[in-house]
Amino acid sequence: MKLYKKEGNILQILSFPNENAEKGDYLLVEDAEAGKALIAQVIDVQFASIPGVLEELLRTLPDGGEPIQGEDIDPLEIAPHITYIQDASLLICKIRATLQNEMLSPSSSWLPSRSQSTIKKLSIPMLLKLAKVEGKLPIILGGTKDSSLLTIDASSLDGRLNIITGKKETGKSHLSKLLMVSLIGYKATVVIFDLNGEYSSLGMTADGKRNMHHDKIHALTPAQNFKVALEQLHLNVVMGILIHALHLPGTSAREFRRTWKSLKENGKLTLHELGEAIRDLKCNQHVRDALSSRYHALVNSGFFTDSLAEAMLLEECLLKSKEQGGAIVINLRSTSTIDRQIVVEYVLGKLVDSLTSWKLKAVFLFAEEAHLYLRETYWDDIVTRMRHFGIFTTFITNQPDTVRESIYRQADNIFLFNFTNEHDLDVVSRASRVDAETVRSIARDLPPHHCLTLGKVVRDFPIVTRVRALDLKTMGETRLFFKDIN
Amino acid sequence: MIEQYTITTTPKYNFPQPTIDTALPQRFLEQSLHSLKQVQPNAFQLNQQFQQFRTFEQHPSNLQLNRTPIPLKPNHQETIIAAIDTSTIKIGETSTGIIIAIRGATVWKQNRTYRYTRLGPFIFHITEENKNQVYNTLERAYFTTRCETPHQSAPHLMQMPTRLASLLERWLQTMIAKTVTNGLILLDGSLTAGTFDTPVHRMREILYQARKNRSTVLAFSKMTTLRVNGYLITDQLPNSEPPYLLETTGLRYKPPTILLGDVYVARLNKANYAFRLDIDRETTLSQRLEAVEKLAGNDLYTQSYPETLRLAHILCTFTANEVLAMQHFITRKHGIQIINRPDMHRLLFGPFGKGEIS
Repeated sequence: MKLYKKEGNILQILSFPNENAEKGDYLLVEDAEAGKALIAQVIDVQFASIPGVLEELLRTLPDGGEPIQGEDIDPLEIAPHITYIQDASLLICKIRATLQNEMLSPSSSWLPSRSQSTIKKLSIPMLLKLAKVEGKLPIILGGTKDSSLLTIDASSLDGRLNIITGKKETGKSHLSKLLMVSLIGYKATVVIFDLNGEYSSLGMTADGKRNMHHDKIHALTPAQNFKVALEQLHLNVVMGILIHALHLPGTSAREFRRTWKSLKENGKLTLHELGEAIRDLKCNQHVRDALSSRYHALVNSGFFTDSLAEAMLLEECLLKSKEQGGAIVINLRSTSTIDRQIVVEYVLGKLVDSLTSWKLKAVFLFAEEAHLYLRETYWDDIVTRMRHFGIFTTFITNQPDTVRESIYRQADNIFLFNFTNEHDLDVVSRASRVDAETVRSIARDLPPHHCLTLGKVVRDFPIVTRVRALDLKTMGETRLFFKDIN
Repeated sequence: MIEQYTITTTPKYNFPQPTIDTALPQRFLEQSLHSLKQVQPNAFQLNQQFQQFRTFEQHPSNLQLNRTPIPLKPNHQETIIAAIDTSTIKIGETSTGIIIAIRGATVWKQNRTYRYTRLGPFIFHITEENKNQVYNTLERAYFTTRCETPHQSAPHLMQMPTRLASLLERWLQTMIAKTVTNGLILLDGSLTAGTFDTPVHRMREILYQARKNRSTVLAFSKMTTLRVNGYLITDQLPNSEPPYLLETTGLRYKPPTILLGDVYVARLNKANYAFRLDIDRETTLSQRLEAVEKLAGNDLYTQSYPETLRLAHILCTFTANEVLAMQHFITRKHGIQIINRPDMHRLLFGPFGKGEIS
């Protein structure tokens, strides 16, 4: 390989066919005299602009598009040399760091010698060692192209905002499961908004047996094994549900607050009593109608109950998880859109309450397709206010444009699977921890189950990994009509 | 001791093959390898610009052009058309000489299909010391099997590329003349003989072999310097429907240069281009017309130039990519260090130095 050009932080390196450099590979451009080296990542592989190639190709097709047939008597065997030159490639590389005295710096301001520099591949283990991507809480993400393992540190997810994105069936949910079980293994509390009911079986192996995490997985299905008694509810949480999920207007909300307080003071805070109170409310007819319709929405959700025995205490699960680590899976699969929002409002409100009162230290929240249940104002809340309370969110989506731009800008880690759509790539490339060229070029060519890991977990050295397999029961499979026929 | 290298002949020719003499290409390969071995300790310098050498016409006198066209009626009777061309290029310099490459191509059209055979490239390191040996060895390889003629002295170093290419070209032409029967043989250039490149007996031999096999030799010149009344003969086209020929008379060269063909201007299609066409003088007018009519009826034309000959030219021409590959070969196989010699024009005159060629 030979250094050809440097423009800004882009290097162009001439590579010959036997050198086998591919997108995602890291190269070390070492200038021995300067005592420094550049670490660059291949983000695109192009044909080198070899003079005469066009003529070479054209003259093989002079006869109406069909290759002219013939024989080449090439006694000196020049043909392999022609092929060798023709197949030379130009590696477009992004400079990631400068290595000097075993120390890395993000600088790309110096110019290595074009004639004297040596260029060699930098193995991922060596890169990780140089970048000090190591820690006491390892999570093995998977294998890299050079058959080494990519291990990140669980603490690099702590206090961070993460995004897992990629098109359908590329392995996003699989990676989020891997992260979850790894975090649980380190006694972390994980809450999952499970839109498709595919995380409930995290405690089972592929063949249906209990695995080591079984006792730590708490699957809660709203209106089934997850109900809330009004008595357990804090007024703020209820108001949040009414205002944000059920869009209760301000005047009506004030009236509801008064009614709620009155019932609470009299020890009559039940669904039945609340319904009666709203019916007997002496106020504007519109206000009463508004409150009445919201009341019926709460009742019809099936999520609320008057029976304390029936009520599943989220708080209990959270406390249990606090001690041993665990995952609370909120199964939203069979829940309607409105009910989903009610449940999410409740859970988030409860989490904030628990974290504010230090009943919980911190929570890792995994939110799948969050746009389907997260209200507008929560996006900013999650990256600012809630992070300070100790809610560290991972968004999982196959529609990157549904995640707000501010989330991308503040994301600390991005786990990017394949995207082919330009628009999707555009959206993801807005993330501040990644350069648009890398995203566009590498993500487009990622095979299924391969993930481009970006951000703090890899010390800003984007690395492509084949996500390792997990012995977990799969629940997210698409139901197929022709499955048995084929 | 020079090793013997086997050159396979052109087994894919689908017309009758007599015993083909392969002595010349064998000697080409031997001399090529031998000359490259001699260059080993030397540094190899890249050219600033590559030159592909072509030969040019000499100026004759008393030329007349008959502007009455001889109309042609394309004859679609299936006829083999074969064309030959060679090319040479200087690919670098050493402290003692030059490194050149030579390649030849024959293209033939039969059953509406074009096929080709390319021979080479042969790479030579030519120095003042070895030029005589290289040239004479190749000459001898050619002459010993033909007529015994005292070999000429080796040309000037800078003329060696064209002279060696001419040797290969004449050999290919001879082979085609011997193998093609009832066909048309298209040559690049004219039927002028008696020059250093083309001794009279060699051209006569080619024409003789072709006539013997009932083939006709047609030589097309891409460019001509022949003028009548101050105008190029190819620019004086009448307003007649092509295809047609215009006849010239009175063309004489100073001895020892002689013309073995009669010169025509050929306009073969509606494209407003015409070419100098030399046809074997020993053929009758009707044979000549039949040959050109068969050409018009059997070959494709791009801008009035036969496709078979165009392909031969395209296939033997060296591309920049091939030059790089040959430089790579020389470096890898013969360990010659490539260094860039500064362009003195650029060095001395900066942006005003345009290099040696332009």
